[in-house]
Amino acid sequence: MKSRSLSLLLALFLLVIAVTGASAQDSVKVEIYFPIAVDSPITEILQGYADAYMADNPNVEVVWSFEGGYGDVKNRLLTVAEGGGELPALAIMLATDIYDLRNAEVIQPLDGYASEEYLADFTPTWLSNSYYDYDGDGTQELYGIPFQRSTVLLYYNADLLTEAGLAVPSNWEELATAAQALTTDSRQGILVPNSWPYWVFQPFVAGAGENIVSDSDVEVFFDTPAVVDALQYWVDLYNVYHATPVGVQSNWGDAPGALVDGAAAMIVHSSGSMRTILDNADFTVGVMGIPGKDGGQYTVTGGGNLYMTAGIDDATAQATWAFVEWLTQPERTVDWSIQTGYYNTRSSGFDLDAWKEYAGANPQADEARASVDFAAREFSVQSLGDVRDVFHAEILAVLNGELEPAAAMAAAQEQADQILSIFK
Amino acid sequence: MTSVARIFAPNERGKKINLPPYLLILPTFIFVILFTIYPTLSVFRASQEYYHPNRPNRTQMTDLNLPGVEEASRSIRGPHEVGLAYFRAMLDPSTSEGETFFQVMRNTLVYTIITVPVTMLLAFAFAVLVNRSLRWIGIARVAFFYPTMLPLVSAATIWLFFFTPDYGLWNVALRLLGYTGQENWIINRDLGLWALMIVSIWKNAGYFMIFYLAGLQSLPQDVYEAADLDGANWLTKMFRITLPLLRRTTLFVSVVAIITAFQNIDHALVLTNELVTGEADLLLYEIYKQRFVLGNYGFANALTVVMILVLLIFTLSNFFLSERGSDER
Amino acid sequence: MSDSVSVARAASTTVRLPWRRARWGIWLVNSLTIVLAVLWAVPIIWTIVVSFRPPADSLGQGDVWFSDRGVSLESYQRAVDLAPFFPHIEDGGLSRSYYGNTLEYVLMTLAVQIVTVTLAAFAFVQYQFPGKRLLFYLILTQLMIPTAILLVPNFMTISQLGLYDTTLAIAIPYFGSAFGTFLMRQAFLEVPRELVESAEIDGARWHHLLRHIYLPPTRATLVAFGMVSVSFHWNSLLWPLVVTSDKSRPLTMGLLRFTQLTDIGAQWSLIMAATMIIVAPLFIVFLIFQRQFIQSFINSGFK
Repeated sequence: MKSRSLSLLLALFLLVIAVTGASAQDSVKVEIYFPIAVDSPITEILQGYADAYMADNPNVEVVWSFEGGYGDVKNRLLTVAEGGGELPALAIMLATDIYDLRNAEVIQPLDGYASEEYLADFTPTWLSNSYYDYDGDGTQELYGIPFQRSTVLLYYNADLLTEAGLAVPSNWEELATAAQALTTDSRQGILVPNSWPYWVFQPFVAGAGENIVSDSDVEVFFDTPAVVDALQYWVDLYNVYHATPVGVQSNWGDAPGALVDGAAAMIVHSSGSMRTILDNADFTVGVMGIPGKDGGQYTVTGGGNLYMTAGIDDATAQATWAFVEWLTQPERTVDWSIQTGYYNTRSSGFDLDAWKEYAGANPQADEARASVDFAAREFSVQSLGDVRDVFHAEILAVLNGELEPAAAMAAAQEQADQILSIFK
Repeated sequence: MTSVARIFAPNERGKKINLPPYLLILPTFIFVILFTIYPTLSVFRASQEYYHPNRPNRTQMTDLNLPGVEEASRSIRGPHEVGLAYFRAMLDPSTSEGETFFQVMRNTLVYTIITVPVTMLLAFAFAVLVNRSLRWIGIARVAFFYPTMLPLVSAATIWLFFFTPDYGLWNVALRLLGYTGQENWIINRDLGLWALMIVSIWKNAGYFMIFYLAGLQSLPQDVYEAADLDGANWLTKMFRITLPLLRRTTLFVSVVAIITAFQNIDHALVLTNELVTGEADLLLYEIYKQRFVLGNYGFANALTVVMILVLLIFTLSNFFLSERGSDER
Repeated sequence: MSDSVSVARAASTTVRLPWRRARWGIWLVNSLTIVLAVLWAVPIIWTIVVSFRPPADSLGQGDVWFSDRGVSLESYQRAVDLAPFFPHIEDGGLSRSYYGNTLEYVLMTLAVQIVTVTLAAFAFVQYQFPGKRLLFYLILTQLMIPTAILLVPNFMTISQLGLYDTTLAIAIPYFGSAFGTFLMRQAFLEVPRELVESAEIDGARWHHLLRHIYLPPTRATLVAFGMVSVSFHWNSLLWPLVVTSDKSRPLTMGLLRFTQLTDIGAQWSLIMAATMIIVAPLFIVFLIFQRQFIQSFINSGFK
């Protein structure tokens, strides 16, 4: 009798353990670091996705953790990993930070999760910063799934151009003269936010015929004629054409507002600002790639990829990947693109009715989409922080009138080669 | 008696100690050991180690871009013993560490040499101005002192707003005074350091005013009365009486001011973090940046060593210059 | 200097106000004081004004005061909605919040410091023992090498102790305070010897001595130290930035997140409201007790 009740108790006890254990295992938390300032409409869109996903998957808890910018997210992840804090399962970080992140062993390869069919549907341009042959075995591993992706675009006030009887600029000369013609006492002809210059600079370099990077992770081309030309053109925009404020402009956050308010006729900015601009402008907004030196349009990829954190347990990793696939389904990527202006990264998304309807009403979206096809690979090499600092320092010195473009770029090349020498 | 028992030996007043003083000091001592002495020693050790966790673990023939380190087949990620290579690199401006080091030391020096005297001068002036018994003088005292109570990061945020081009009050005021130069204070490599200095001066002048106020209030009144009889004007009294009598205060404030200048860099995290090329980086900020942003561990540790040495030399020389001869009870 | 002083001593002592000689001098000094005080106060005044302006009010050149739309609490509401400044009830307890975290580590630091500092200072004043000078100087190294600059090695220690992202991690390096020990030691030295000796003759034990002889006359110094400690730790940023990532973030880091807003077009009234939320408590306490505060800072610097 006694032993029976004891064994009953034991069974009950085991059952309780099993149940609680199971429920603990059933509920998986997927925390995601996302680079966005606290007060942005994007936080609501993302929370909407999380709520929708959790409604269908009650055993998964999706938690967004918002952090100021890409750099902040990266630093935070590295510090949490080293400090022994609670790791997130996912993080959106710059596509270009792939080398640092993998080297520091905070992200894991996704080849085991992503099927070929899944990957084939991504517009190939977006995957240009997703692979890295870390172990040096000759095959590249997949690390970044494109999500919050953008390109550099030229936004222009089409009404102003029409009023002035100007055509949409098709090369550097036309861009500069148009900007000059549209400059008044209360209006800048063109704003090129250049305090963090490399990204907005790259399309100009490409427009002069070359990129500053190849597919290699240890090579840069800072001292080519194309770079010097592009830099000289930037300087000429204010020195010769007086179409933009002199020197370094720190107006990244303010430029879209300036275009909308009429304080600027044209701006160079991220495609991610398209939603804000289209919603607020009371004139026709024109969107295009950056005109090339002798015609054509040029741009460069940008923005963040989804990275899965290394060191998370298997159940979390499985749940995380399921969420990644869901988040990058064409329905979602199209919705994301429509709501934010970031790109739909899935080719099949363009066949969806939602997209066709949107693109019909907003021809700018298709213009922007066209820029993806000719987008150059974004600046990404080993020791990116150091190499980029060198490049930035020299560009800013030129913008501040301290150095000539050719001399500055030669110096940048030399320093970059020195930094990268140990990788070769 | 054993040596342990000697701990319980009679104290100066010939009375038996009923509890060893060591036990009372122990809590403080443990934390000082753990968070001051041990890290100081360990960072000396760590400054001799090359470690770049953001680099791939590739093995190749390299000198790691450090002067004095021989070419060898080794991982470019590390960790490796490199001896004093970082200190050699810091003295060699052709290396990236050397270039950074010279720039940071120059910035720190300029920052200290300008903010410390200016802040002290203002502090002294404030103290003289508010050291009067007028009904409204308390308000002025609060106006000068309140920045001390603000977190440096809030002060920096407020000034971030003031420095905004176009409508920021700082630029509006400067334009009224005829300034026509750059308005991008925090992003301009020539102005970034000035922005940091302005915030620091604004925040600390009221703090140091307090010390001068205390000093002024302890001055003997009869000296002034006699000087008045003598027909001395205020300038004479200021330079012949007040300043000499406040020499110790001035020395003390200068020490506090210099140490404050070295260890407070929170405003840089708000104001000049977007200044991409490091023209306004101060020493402690550079340590943070090298370690937690760029992942250059060895260099960050070597910079910490430099900072420890600078502060040790400074405080010790100060100690021996000023405290020599003062009685130790 | 010695000349003028000795001359002055020799003279008789008729009271004459320093500024009486020139009335225009008084006027000049008064206006200088007012101008400087106003200049120094402008930042906080503009901050307060902007934080109470409706967020929709644009900031153009010369827009320094309230518009026709007057005062609004909208920015404060928005700031509180966006970031966990204040705790709310969650699972039967209080949720983590910036205020909760800041209070937690500031008070934790203060409580521990008061004990460690008092005990150590008492030991250094009351007892003679081998190694006393050495121990004292070892502790004083903390004054020469401020804990703030040992950021990197202390981060390693915190990580090894498994304290990353806890309020304890922010507080623990400051549990022992050379500054406080030194301050209290100086204060204890002022306590009359006779008092101590007579208590000893009466058979007082060490904790009686500390509680009834040493502490009562030095309470002001302890309060002064407490105030300096609270304002120092309340305001710190770099160290918490390095050792916390999420649940233990203090107020100052909350503010840092708002300053990152400038990347998407600055919303100054929101940022200024966040600034005020962080600054207000200490600031209001300061305004009420400004005399004591200022006196405390004076006490902590000298003696």
